[in-house]
Amino acid sequence: MTPETSARALWIINGLTLLVAAIFLSPVLYSIWMSFQTSDAYYSGGVDFTLRNYDVAVGQYNFARYLLNSVIVSGIVTLLGISFATMAAFAFARFEFRGGNLMFGAVVATLMIPSHITLIPNYLTLARAGMLDSYAGLILPAISSGFAAFFLRQYIRGIPRALDEAAYMDGATPLKVLWRVIVPISKPAIFSMALQLFIAEWNNYIWPLVAISESDLYTLQIGLARLYRVNPGEDVIDWPLVMAASTITILPVLLGFVLVERHLVRGITMGAVK
Amino acid sequence: MSSITLRDIRKSYANGPRVLHGVDLDIGDGEFVVIVGPSGCGKSTLLRLIAGLERCEEGEIVIDGRRANELPPQDRNIAMIFQNYALYPHMSVLENIAFGLELRKVPRKTREARAREVAETLQLTPYLDRKPGALSGGQRQRVAMGRAMARDTSTFLMDEPLSNLDNALRNAMRTEIKTIHQRLGATIVFVTHDQTEALSLADRIAVMKDGYLQQFDTPAAIYDRPANRFVASFLGTPKMNFVTSDAVTGWTGRRGVEVGLRPDTLRLHRKKPGAASIEARLTLTEMTGSEVVLHCQTQSGAMSAIAHRRQDLPAPGERIWLEYDVAAAHLFDMHSGARV
Repeated sequence: MTPETSARALWIINGLTLLVAAIFLSPVLYSIWMSFQTSDAYYSGGVDFTLRNYDVAVGQYNFARYLLNSVIVSGIVTLLGISFATMAAFAFARFEFRGGNLMFGAVVATLMIPSHITLIPNYLTLARAGMLDSYAGLILPAISSGFAAFFLRQYIRGIPRALDEAAYMDGATPLKVLWRVIVPISKPAIFSMALQLFIAEWNNYIWPLVAISESDLYTLQIGLARLYRVNPGEDVIDWPLVMAASTITILPVLLGFVLVERHLVRGITMGAVK
Repeated sequence: MSSITLRDIRKSYANGPRVLHGVDLDIGDGEFVVIVGPSGCGKSTLLRLIAGLERCEEGEIVIDGRRANELPPQDRNIAMIFQNYALYPHMSVLENIAFGLELRKVPRKTREARAREVAETLQLTPYLDRKPGALSGGQRQRVAMGRAMARDTSTFLMDEPLSNLDNALRNAMRTEIKTIHQRLGATIVFVTHDQTEALSLADRIAVMKDGYLQQFDTPAAIYDRPANRFVASFLGTPKMNFVTSDAVTGWTGRRGVEVGLRPDTLRLHRKKPGAASIEARLTLTEMTGSEVVLHCQTQSGAMSAIAHRRQDLPAPGERIWLEYDVAAAHLFDMHSGARV
């Protein structure tokens, strides 16, 4: 291939990539564009730029509070979830203990249980514990992730055991080995799992719907769903307002993705070749 | 003081065969002991037991006069160098060397100064900020050494630390390890399957086979008075020649035994000498530097001998005579292989 044809091929590939990216992005871009239109302009087919939809979503419909709730719940779920998953993964990957295989089998088995099946038992448990309508009620059922434990265990098994042994010889305790050796080396996998936990919790709709009835504890997903029902419009949904609320919902996740994207992609591909 | 005593050490893995069958070793303070043997003989397992990386359920390990069976590795105050170096890939050379001190809560300034001092000794100063991935094999090996040396300990365990290096570097590092041992006066237990390494480094060598300790003695004693046929054949290059006494022409020594003749004790003759000798046909010559290894075929099998390169050497295919000295021969029991 001559330099000219290879340059042309590169242009074509870049062009096609941009086109595909544009197709994937178009609904998002369209909804963001729509969120800056007045309702009248949108329904009349005109263009009238405004920030009012954001003002209404945040001021009138309490989206700032929902955003804060989502950040608190998703943040704590991610932090606790990834911590427990990492510790469990380390134990499963490195220690032989009575019942270890059975316990790991149980963790893997949780991957096969549809989450909706656990709704009622979780609801009853938390109701008895008096934790419904609280942050704890939103957070606790989500902090154990069988998939994250399984994924990280496989990753840690790929790290040479000699590194742990070297650290033990250097004077480390098992917890130090985890914190100073395993966690830094597993950072890409941990980042990728943390982001997945965060996204899953951020988008969680069913459980907050079941567990929360107080509007002050609504997360963004519940707030967004309620917007369809409560927005004015006499049989007509105020789509620009809904899109403004949607944009508030997706922006933090998009920003988070941009920040850890490199780690996420590395984490996913690494699982494939290990 | 740093002595290690092993008493009747036995080890089996779950659902696996026994890998150590009652090993006893007494390693003195400041001694350089090399554990040598073929793959699977249990030498690395023995080292890992001393380190505390394997549980010792049978037998007793005593370190500095204190029973250590139940002590975890971090409480044994022993430094270890691994075969693949096991450097922490996310830490710089400086951090790798200082990590052991950090875990022992040595203040930052003190541990960095110590790490720099060790790095200087090992000529690693220009690489202190590099990660292990950006180092050559030899440099990594030195970092592993540095990590062990920085620790405030006088007992070092080394698990085939030179096996991943090329020949030239291996020879250089061998000298370096010997120098460090002399300077620090530390107790070193070094595992290898390379008999040259064992002979050149050790104060005493422990030869192992199939989980049994075959002989534990000085290199000279092991070379000159091997305890059995295995030890005799394992140490020494080229290997010792073995022939039954009945098949040795002119043999005046004890009968009904296996005779071991070191290649360097055989003298080459192109004509039949007056002294006792074995007739042979030269099949191959192999130059090793100042010497030439002669591979020959005798009536009782293949044998090898060593001749000086400057000597008037026969051509392959020629008939030669290998003169031997009965007093220099090693005699082994035909059945048990034990020295007689």
